[in-house]
Amino acid sequence: MAKSDDGIRILQGLLVFGNVVIGMCGIALTAECIFFVSDPHGLYPLLEATENDDIYAAAWIGIFVGFALFALSILGIVAVIKSNRTLLLVYIILMLITYAFEMASCITAATQRDFLTPNLFLKQMLERYNKSEADNNNDKWMTEGVTKTWDKLMLQNQCCGVHGASDWQDYTSAFRRTHSDADYPWPRNCCIMNAQGSPINLDGCKLGVPGYYNSNGCYDAISGPMNTHAWGVAWFGFAILCWTFFVLLGTMFYWSRVEY
Amino acid sequence: ALLPYVPRVPPTALPGKVTATTFALEMPCCVFDGHANASDAVWLVVAFANASDAFRNPPSRDDVPPYERLPTAHSYMTLETAAAAYACPAPSPAVLRVGGDTACGGEGGRDPCNGPLPSPGPYRVKFLVMGCHGPKAETRWSDPILLRRAASPSTIDPAPARRDSAPVVVASILASLGAALAAAVLGAVGAEAWGSLCRRDPGNGAFAHRSYRTHHIPPALPQPLPPGCGCSPPGLGCFAPRRPGPCPAE
Repeated sequence: MAKSDDGIRILQGLLVFGNVVIGMCGIALTAECIFFVSDPHGLYPLLEATENDDIYAAAWIGIFVGFALFALSILGIVAVIKSNRTLLLVYIILMLITYAFEMASCITAATQRDFLTPNLFLKQMLERYNKSEADNNNDKWMTEGVTKTWDKLMLQNQCCGVHGASDWQDYTSAFRRTHSDADYPWPRNCCIMNAQGSPINLDGCKLGVPGYYNSNGCYDAISGPMNTHAWGVAWFGFAILCWTFFVLLGTMFYWSRVEY
Repeated sequence: ALLPYVPRVPPTALPGKVTATTFALEMPCCVFDGHANASDAVWLVVAFANASDAFRNPPSRDDVPPYERLPTAHSYMTLETAAAAYACPAPSPAVLRVGGDTACGGEGGRDPCNGPLPSPGPYRVKFLVMGCHGPKAETRWSDPILLRRAASPSTIDPAPARRDSAPVVVASILASLGAALAAAVLGAVGAEAWGSLCRRDPGNGAFAHRSYRTHHIPPALPQPLPPGCGCSPPGLGCFAPRRPGPCPAE
């Protein structure tokens, strides 16, 4: 009798430890997803204009799932220590529901990363930046978002276009319709500015003389944070789910051994 | 006089040296020394490449074709500069930008206008030195300069080039884990429900939880008869035997 008692004690200890880890990971997931949803780089308008902001939906789900994991882990610890069959069953069922939601969030975040190609942002920039006529209110909102975001991006990251300044020369754009090619080969914000916010050498900037305009493309500044976001939600969620899988299996085994 | 200099687009890599309506030219530094006085004007002749052979130098400044007549005359002259500006040593800027002035080109202006070029070309240019009495020297025609033609953004295909395999792996692993969990839960709950219907007693191997404590009440055993009891039937108690009374006297 002593031997199987020890075995049960070890299983209880392992389950409590597993639940503690789940609880802490839940808090971490909530914190990470809140950070992503708060959009510290101000790139959300670009995603919104692609009409596919699934990685934000995945992050929102992650916030609630993380909190649910924390609450359920406390329930799990109580249920294992008390060896209460009903509590254990409730814990297992609720954990399965949370598991399903986290699976959805994780898969969404992982598949969305492929969607964010340079051409996607290039096309969006050319068609929406400084677009003067809007089809409807929604279109106007998205256009303003894209324009403000690009202006801020070009100023803060010292970059121009998606691949470089020649994007504005290789393609016609909504910008080109309102700004002549002779005066604005590329937007003003591609020029290197002085402290007052005007270009240090406008003619040099128009010609593309190194030192007077931003020669880098902005794609790295856009895709870097977005990929971190998508991979952060996807891989951390995947790790939590793998761990939770084993804890749930152990809990089900424990539940089947508990007497009423 | 025909100078051997050939105007050309600067060879350095500048993204703005040729745009859709402008182009840049190297400054003809030190080219006109000895052929022009400091007060002479150096003009730039811009003509369509197929019309450059038909161009005739204007005899005086009044006959200079203006910018507005480019569509009809297929050539114009612009960038009137004093010859001193091209004298050695090289002043700054080091390039000339043709087509950079969007403010000029009004009706009837006599001043030379350096307006944007209306079509991609190709164009050929040459420098012409005009003195008080007419043209004094010219350079050779440049090679044809073709301006940029921009493509429409609808030709951009935003679809990903190749699908990454990592999301497929993640999705399949998660789906199989989830299915395994669901199956395990259903199996465990089903086995319990089946077990409680078919069997009454707990199965082997289940440990008794300490909340149960059986109180063992042994059945009562027959007590040995106390000494001196008569053969009275058990359960009726035990009576002390009455000593036989003295026999009645006869």
